[in-house]
Amino acid sequence: MRAMPAIVQLQGVHKDYPLGNLVVRALRGVDLTFDKGEFTTVAGPSGSGKTTLLNLVGCVDTATRGTVTVDGASTSALKESKLTELRLRKLGFIFQSFNLIGVLNLFQNVEFPLLLQGGLTKGERESRVRDIVDKVGLTEQMKQRPNELSGGQRQRVAIARALVTRPSIVLADEPTANLDSGTGNAIIDLMKHLNETEHTTFIFSTHDSRVMSRASRIVQLVDGKVVDDGHGHRTGAAAVAPLAEA
Amino acid sequence: MGVFIRIALRNLMQARLRSFFLTVALSLVTMLLVILLGLSQGLTETIVKNATTLASGHLNVAGFFKAKASDANPIVTHRAEVRKAVEESITGVDFIIDRARGWARVVSDVSSMNAGLTGVDAKEESRLFEILQLAKQSEYKEGGSDEVKGDARRLANKNTALIFAAQAKRLEVDVGDKLTVAVETMKGARNTAEFEIVGIARDIGIMSNWSVFTDKASLLELYRLDADVTGAIQIYLDDVDRAPKAMGELRLALEDKGYTVMEHDPRPFWAKFEGVSGEDWTGQRLDLTTWSDEVSFLLWIITAVDSISFVLVGILVVIIAVGIMNSMWMSVRERTPEVGTLRAIGMSRRRVLLMFMLEALILGLVATSLGGAAGAFIARSIDAAHVHVSVDAVRLILMSDTLHLSVGVQQVLTAVIAFTLISGLSALWPAYRASRLQPVTAIQHIG
Repeated sequence: MRAMPAIVQLQGVHKDYPLGNLVVRALRGVDLTFDKGEFTTVAGPSGSGKTTLLNLVGCVDTATRGTVTVDGASTSALKESKLTELRLRKLGFIFQSFNLIGVLNLFQNVEFPLLLQGGLTKGERESRVRDIVDKVGLTEQMKQRPNELSGGQRQRVAIARALVTRPSIVLADEPTANLDSGTGNAIIDLMKHLNETEHTTFIFSTHDSRVMSRASRIVQLVDGKVVDDGHGHRTGAAAVAPLAEA
Repeated sequence: MGVFIRIALRNLMQARLRSFFLTVALSLVTMLLVILLGLSQGLTETIVKNATTLASGHLNVAGFFKAKASDANPIVTHRAEVRKAVEESITGVDFIIDRARGWARVVSDVSSMNAGLTGVDAKEESRLFEILQLAKQSEYKEGGSDEVKGDARRLANKNTALIFAAQAKRLEVDVGDKLTVAVETMKGARNTAEFEIVGIARDIGIMSNWSVFTDKASLLELYRLDADVTGAIQIYLDDVDRAPKAMGELRLALEDKGYTVMEHDPRPFWAKFEGVSGEDWTGQRLDLTTWSDEVSFLLWIITAVDSISFVLVGILVVIIAVGIMNSMWMSVRERTPEVGTLRAIGMSRRRVLLMFMLEALILGLVATSLGGAAGAFIARSIDAAHVHVSVDAVRLILMSDTLHLSVGVQQVLTAVIAFTLISGLSALWPAYRASRLQPVTAIQHIG
């Protein structure tokens, strides 16, 4: 019996990449379901298909075979404009290399997705940005450009940018890979805190065992296949409901 | 939109060197275009001024009278009646004059030349006297003084003539000298009269080479025509650009009043003799023309200047466009990760296109505005300096002995808008390609 409704489903998903005359099989028949409010890590060695899996869930790539359903919509059936809309309204991205817009300051970087969404007044946007920036602890750095921030601070900005639109799902591709262990832990703590307080679904990839141990669920990928779909410490929003129902 | 402009501006500033060189190049081409447009406009103004001083009104009511079918006499009979009809029929008029016309052999003691005679009524010609500048004696006589001799207003007297400096030099005459003027009358007889030179005006381009002004009464007598005959009623409008429209309105009004008006033929009156003499009709027909019809044989100069400008600027535009396109390709390549990020966080293809286009459009707008302002400043400075043109051939083409450039808001705006759009269009393909980047491809570019 599932605790929360599924927000992401992958059924028989294959992803092949042509590489010259060869075909690289990045995913081979993956079946997975992610529930609302989960704090899941996708683990595995380099080349195991973690990033490919996140790209498919994040609607920035499409499966060669199989079905990827995000928030009730099958991504292979959607046109490019609808996929863009889905990314804008339902998804948040956190990248390994932060990928902030260098020419905008912290406030403007975080505000940017809200500008793309439209519909909010300047005051509402400002309030939303200040609120989320405060949560990631960067209120003092509001006017600074990315190149004036440390790696940890940049990743916090990326988290704020991913969360400011209040997405259903946040996808993070190795969010701690470019950070020292202390900063990495702090970032995971922050993500976990936001997962618990905002009930946002987090799916992030890592091959760092210390980070893995913080997740409520660990999906282990090897050579494009799910070899283990176990649960770690069931904490966070997803952990609450099953206990309540049990 | 504000954030897109901010991103575009900051990206341009980030690629300082590239932006600087493109701005300089685009500014220089815009400046060149503004100066060339100023030259073309100045030339047009000079031609309008010269034409409407020497040979034409903004609008002319002339015509041909044929006693027999093979005649082609370029006169308007019943001058007073026709002029009254014209005055009643047209609006937006500054003033109206009428002038007699003729073609004569003008003979001095030492030389001769053919010239078009224009018989004027001095009482009506205050504008002519304002525009014509009498030449210093040194301008037409070797070893002459700087004294300005004569008085154009003495054309009010009988048997008087005003000629131009180049003609005086050729005929070797001075103010007060007599010229013998020989014409063939409408009936084919030869007639001559002596005219006293009352003034020698400074040349005003190619047209003053063959223009001689006389008093109208004497010219009509020379042709044995009565006083109620004229060559052309010349109408000066409040707005010269309204001439073609006013001509159409006047045509209908004169036809309503019972006058026969010839089909519009956009050539000067002297180019129509052969055609008219071959037509099978007699009596009086009116012929309406605009100033540009009367100097259509000179408009090739403007066309030539415009064509040279077009080719020159066109070549430079292609070079600049390639530069902008290359620059945008570099920008797209450098910012592929950014495009991937933006697409991943939900930026649409249209907005990616807009973002890159804005960069080129802002660069274009800033550069062309600078170039336009600099071009206008340089053109106006050259014009204000009254740069003397010493080469005769160039003087003839420019129709002036000084370089006249006229730059207005319209020329600057034309250059700025045209080049800004070209800048935007140059960026279209790279921007389009950027917008079509697959998010995953762009993200993988991150490494």
